[in-house]
This record gives sequence, C-alpha cells and structure tokens, in this order.
Amino acid sequence: MRYCLLLLASAAALMAQVKHEDILKGPRADWLTYAGNFQGWRYSPLTQITAANARMIAPKWVYRVPDAKRLASSPIVYDGVLYITDTNSIYAVDARSGRQIWQWADPRAKSQGVNRGSAILGNRVYLTTADNFLVALDRRSGGVIFMKKFADEKKGTTSTSAPLIVKDKVIVGSAGGDSGMRGFVAALSADDGHEIWRTYTVPARGEPGSESWGDLIEWGGGATWLSGTYDPELNTLFWTTGNPWPDFAGATRKGDNLYTCSLVSLDLDTGKMKWHFQFTPHDTHDWDAQSWPILVDTEINGKPRKAVLHANRNGFFYALDRVTGEFLRATKLIDNLTWAKGIDAKGRPIEIPGQDPTPEGNWVCPSVKGATNWMGQSYNPLTGLLYVITLEQCGRYNMSSQVPKPMSNFSGGGATEEGGQVIIRALDPKTGKRAWEYPVTGAGRMWTGTVSTAGGVLFTGDDDGHFVALDAKTGKNLWHFNMGELSTASPITYSVDGKQFVAIASATSVFSFGLFEPADPATPPITTVVK
Amino acid sequence: MRAFFPTALLIAAIPLAAQHGRYLNESRHPSIGKPEAIAAGAKLFSASCTGCHGPDGSGGARGPNLVQRALWHPLADEAIFNAIRKGIPGTDMPPTNLTDDQTWNLVAFIHALTGPASEQTIPGDPSAGKQVYASSGCAGCHAIRGEGALLAPDLSNIGGSRPLPVIREAILEPSKDLFYLGSEAVSVTLKNGRKLEGTARNRSNYSLQLIDKAGNLHLLRMNDVKEMAIRATSPMPGDYAKRLSKDQLRDLLAYLAAQSTR
Repeated sequence: MRYCLLLLASAAALMAQVKHEDILKGPRADWLTYAGNFQGWRYSPLTQITAANARMIAPKWVYRVPDAKRLASSPIVYDGVLYITDTNSIYAVDARSGRQIWQWADPRAKSQGVNRGSAILGNRVYLTTADNFLVALDRRSGGVIFMKKFADEKKGTTSTSAPLIVKDKVIVGSAGGDSGMRGFVAALSADDGHEIWRTYTVPARGEPGSESWGDLIEWGGGATWLSGTYDPELNTLFWTTGNPWPDFAGATRKGDNLYTCSLVSLDLDTGKMKWHFQFTPHDTHDWDAQSWPILVDTEINGKPRKAVLHANRNGFFYALDRVTGEFLRATKLIDNLTWAKGIDAKGRPIEIPGQDPTPEGNWVCPSVKGATNWMGQSYNPLTGLLYVITLEQCGRYNMSSQVPKPMSNFSGGGATEEGGQVIIRALDPKTGKRAWEYPVTGAGRMWTGTVSTAGGVLFTGDDDGHFVALDAKTGKNLWHFNMGELSTASPITYSVDGKQFVAIASATSVFSFGLFEPADPATPPITTVVK
Repeated sequence: MRAFFPTALLIAAIPLAAQHGRYLNESRHPSIGKPEAIAAGAKLFSASCTGCHGPDGSGGARGPNLVQRALWHPLADEAIFNAIRKGIPGTDMPPTNLTDDQTWNLVAFIHALTGPASEQTIPGDPSAGKQVYASSGCAGCHAIRGEGALLAPDLSNIGGSRPLPVIREAILEPSKDLFYLGSEAVSVTLKNGRKLEGTARNRSNYSLQLIDKAGNLHLLRMNDVKEMAIRATSPMPGDYAKRLSKDQLRDLLAYLAAQSTR
C-alpha cells in the first residue's frame, strides 16, 4: 500500500503543470492568461487558419454555460481543457468536443456581478468571486484548494476581472467605483492566497496626491476592474484605473483626483508605484482608463522606444515610454470628439470649457461608454498593427445636485447613449494613424473584443452577434457566422492535436470554430454495464 | 467481459446537481437561523407534519421528502411559508390556521433541516471524525482542500452545500438514489490496446472525459475506444453502515458537516 502511494505521488509529480515560464512564452497550443501573453497582445502564432482558407471556417461545438445571461469571460486553455467563468462560477470543458468536465459554483456568494475570466498556475485554476474571494481549484477536478477573502464588499468593493498570475503572485483588482469605494491592486500568494502587497489607487488623507481631492477621498473610486499587463524585463506591472466618484458631479472633488483615470506602473515584488500617467484629470464623464495597456517595442517620433500603447475612453490614443512614464504622443482615436482640442506636450488634455455635466444635460462626444472600452485589443507583430474596437457615439450628460451618499447606486448624475457606430480600427503604433477601418453593423453597443494570428487573421464581432474573420493586413471581411446573440467578450485561439480552434463567449454560450472537415461517423465501442 | 474495478475504488454518488444549493434567494426573515424559532418549529413539525413527511422530513406515504428532492432547485422561504399557510391545491397538503410567527418558526425548522449541514448544530466530535475519515480510506478517492484523490466528488464544501441527512445517506446507502452522470466508474480499452479506468466526468456517443486514479484527465474520442464497461451503481462501498460504529458515523458526519469553503 505504501509502495502504491509512493508510485501515485511520483506520477502526480511528473504530470504536466503550468509554470511561469510557460505563461512567459505566450500562446502556442494553449492560451494561459487572459490576454494571451503578459504584454497584452491577444496574438497567437498559430497558422493553420489563414487569410487564404478562413472561408472554410465552420462551427465545431457550442457549450451552453448553465444559467448564463451575459457572459463577459475570455476563456483560457491548457492541455485540451477550456475554462470559462461566469458570476461566482467556472466551467471546465473539453476543448475539442465542448463537453463539460466539471463545474464549480458558489451559490452562497454575497454579491453578483460579471466575471471576466480565470488564470492558471501549477495544477490550479484561479478566479475571484463577486464578494472578493480568491478561489483556487484543482484544474482537473474543480475541487477547492483554498478560498481567501481579499476585500470587503461592505466597503463597496466587488471583483470582476480575471486574475493575472506572474511568478508566484496572483494579481487582483477591484470594482465598484461607480458607487463609491477605494480602488486598489493587490498581489496575493498563489500558494495560499495571503496578501503580499496592496497598492491603493486613491491616496489616503495626507499622502502625496491627496491634495487633488476633497471631502470624499475615502470613497474616491479609481477601481481596477480590468486585468493589467507585465514587462518581465522591467519586472513591472501596468494597470489602468477607473473614474473618480461621484462620476458626474465633480464639485465635491475639486482637483485632478489622483490616481483615477490613469495608468500606473507598479513594481511586481513590492507594489510600489514607479510612475503614473493621468489621461483624464478630474474626469466628469465616467471615462475610466479601463482599456488595455499594451507593451510594444517600436519606433515613436523617430526613436526606438519601450512603449506602452493605450486607446482611452476619452477619445485619444496614447503612446508612453513604459520605463519612465514619459508622454510620447496622442492622436485622435475617434472622429466625433468635442470635449478637448487635443493633448498638450506634457500629455494633459486641452479642454474646451463648458463640457461638464449640467442639471439640464450637456451634449458631449464621446458618450459615457467612451471611445473604446475594456474589450480585448490585439497587437499583431507581423502586421505591426494594433486593432481597437472604437465607438463613434455622443450623449447627454446630466449632473445631480443630490448630496453624494456612498454605496447607494448614486453616481452624481447620469448620461444617455444616442445612436452610435462601432468601427474596428487598425492603428499604426509608430504614427498613431489608422491603417484601415471596418465599420460593423449593430446598435452601437460595442462589447466584442479581438484576437489576431500569425495566419494573418483578425477575429472579432459585429455589434449584433455575428462573429467575423477579417484580413489582418487589409481589414477585408473573410468569413462570418451568426451566433444569434450579442457577444460581450473577447475571442481566443488554441489548438488540440494539431487542429486550430477559435473560441468566443456569446451572451450565454461558448462557441468554438475550426476549419471544415467531413463528418466522422460514430462507431460506438462495445459497451457493458456492470451490475 | 471482465470488469476492471479494483475493490478499493470508492466513489460516492452525491448528486452533483445538489451543488446549485437552495439559497439563491435567501430569506431575510429574522426567524431563519434563530435557535429558539427552530426549536419551536421542531415541536410544531413533530405535532402536525410527521404523519405525512416523516419524523426527519424524509417523506412518507402521503407526503414528499422535504430534505432530498429529486430536483434540487432553490426554494425560497417565502414559498415554504405560503405552502404551509395556504396548502397545495390538488394534493394532500392542507392549509393551516397557524399564526405568522408559528408559520415562520416552522419555516425556520424546515430551512434548518434542509439547509447546509455547516450551518446547523451537529452532534459529534469533528476531530475524531477526521481520524475516521483517514482510517476508512475516504481520501483514496475523495479530496478535501487539495488533499486526497480526484476520482470521487470533492468534499471541501460538502457541509456547506448539503443537508446532513443527504450526507448521511450518501455514506450509508450510496447507490440508493439517482446515480448522476459525472460520478460513473468506467473502464475502457482503446483501439490501440491501452487500458484506462477511472471516473467518467462526462460521456456521449462521441467523446469521453475520464479522470484516472492518478488524477490524469483523458479526453477521448469515442471512435478511439474499442470496449467500455460502465458500473451501474456507485463504486462507493455499500457497507459503511456495518463497518462504522454509531459513534464513528456520528463523528465522521460532524467532520464532514464542518467542511465548508465559506
């Protein structure tokens, strides 16, 4: 018996496990982290599906996520298993057949809310619950290894983002900024969930930056509800922060409201802020900076740079030096932009007066959803282009004169979203200029992300439930498929036994596609039922 | 055809469907979880309800099992309140003349009876139960917080997700109730001659998702499988009623009831 146990233990030790180095390499057959690689590229070197054969793409399977209504999760894939999350739940699916292997749900969670995905390390998959537990499950069985609380929902914090795992740390963010809370990024131990460091995105009273606030600083927002990116060479995390609270009523928080609507650079080991860059000082339009900070080494203004690229909700496309945080360039991401004339040499918006929300309502472009949002962008090193979902939309911004009360669903006013056209834009990081654009059909909702491949294909969605393949070089449509409902998630690509798949969550289900193959008639095995 | 099941293969048939829990719409009524209300409700239950629903709520000739229902959908406390108050037309369940307080006491008792074991006061010694768990070989198939094997349902949250009577029955009569897909013991011979055995986490005419004793997942195409043997009953041993003393069972239940991830 002892011998058997030893044998089992050594077999277990030999089994494949996900290592930091595997994630570091970026996607191959597997897709191990939300954005594919640490740099946030959502790019795969897989080449079976190409611009030339994309017209042969066919659906391979659909997995209906139990009870799902509005999935926002981007799957990860390891060793033939696809993991998809929903609110307080995760499902492991055979990535070749779409059949469920296990599910885990926590019906006792004290909050509900969207969940954007999971992470993987060793033999564990990780997700967070809406009431701020980090959950580690055995990737093979879904058995709980630990659940560790990292924030208090009674202080307005909830959790929606996919954790980012770097080395032995699980990096988590915080959501809930539209109702008053104090945002943070925290590093938790992958081993047992204990907190290693926590960096707040709004300073405490008396700390540097607190002079940019008023009385409501304790509830200032600056949520971090999207994952971030990581530069292994600099050992630095890049994380974007949300809007200040109350969203539309700025009178109670005079000043720039640091470090909201910003990009912060954090040391992986300590969480210390190396630099910050604020895109929208004193935001009054709910323009979170939650859109990807994408790490690309490229030439900008004629000089090679370690850059971080960022398409912001405020309507501008930025390039910063990611070592120093120096502002390098900003160009217009959208055409309909009425609140600022441009960005000055230091990176501060040149605002047009009178654009704040008013009690009667003030017409401003872009709309409250912003010029882009959290959906996955893609950088393709072969085309040298960054693909961004953009929205040309304006809206009426109202300000409420009510006294702000935290955690009461009060955001200081409101905003309308009127009309709108979603356009997929391919941007040249060197110049900030558009290489091509692809207007999609739909109602101006804008929630489907992208993935691009070495096969020269960009996968994304129309704004009405069509999943589409575009030529990554030209933006020409190659293929489309009607999923029957809007997708509010980003696609990924992976391969099993040498066959490439492309998967995306619709509102309720995961769809997986691959190249057409003739049917393989079933030849059932000789089956015995043992009584 | 030879079956490949070693006798030590222990897999419990605890319905996976039960993981949905029943408190999606948790009642905020103050009686719920209040010991005095539960005790008062227990008296009412034994006086008026046991005739049909049985002394432990497990059902009888005229009334259904309240603890373990075939479909484990969430049932709100308000729905139980209304069923007690108004009865269920077309069935033997009559309306009652209980006051609001009495009715809520009864709801509090039923809530406790059918709620997660971890939230109840359970007799027995959990640390002695841990020893029983270890000496009975449970970890040969089950895992708790990453310790143990992956063949059988994970027990890390067993107390947090199941009422005590359901756990008791799973130990004493593992094959009594519906046997759910996801816990089937299977053994297969592939067309290449390879033999595998373990638990079918899922299967169809086209694919099989099997986890073996070492914790390896095998994601197979059924076209690659030559022969398959499926066990019709739970591979969890059916003799724990004999193997465990009354005290051992009580302590084991106390240990399992304490397993909650929250």
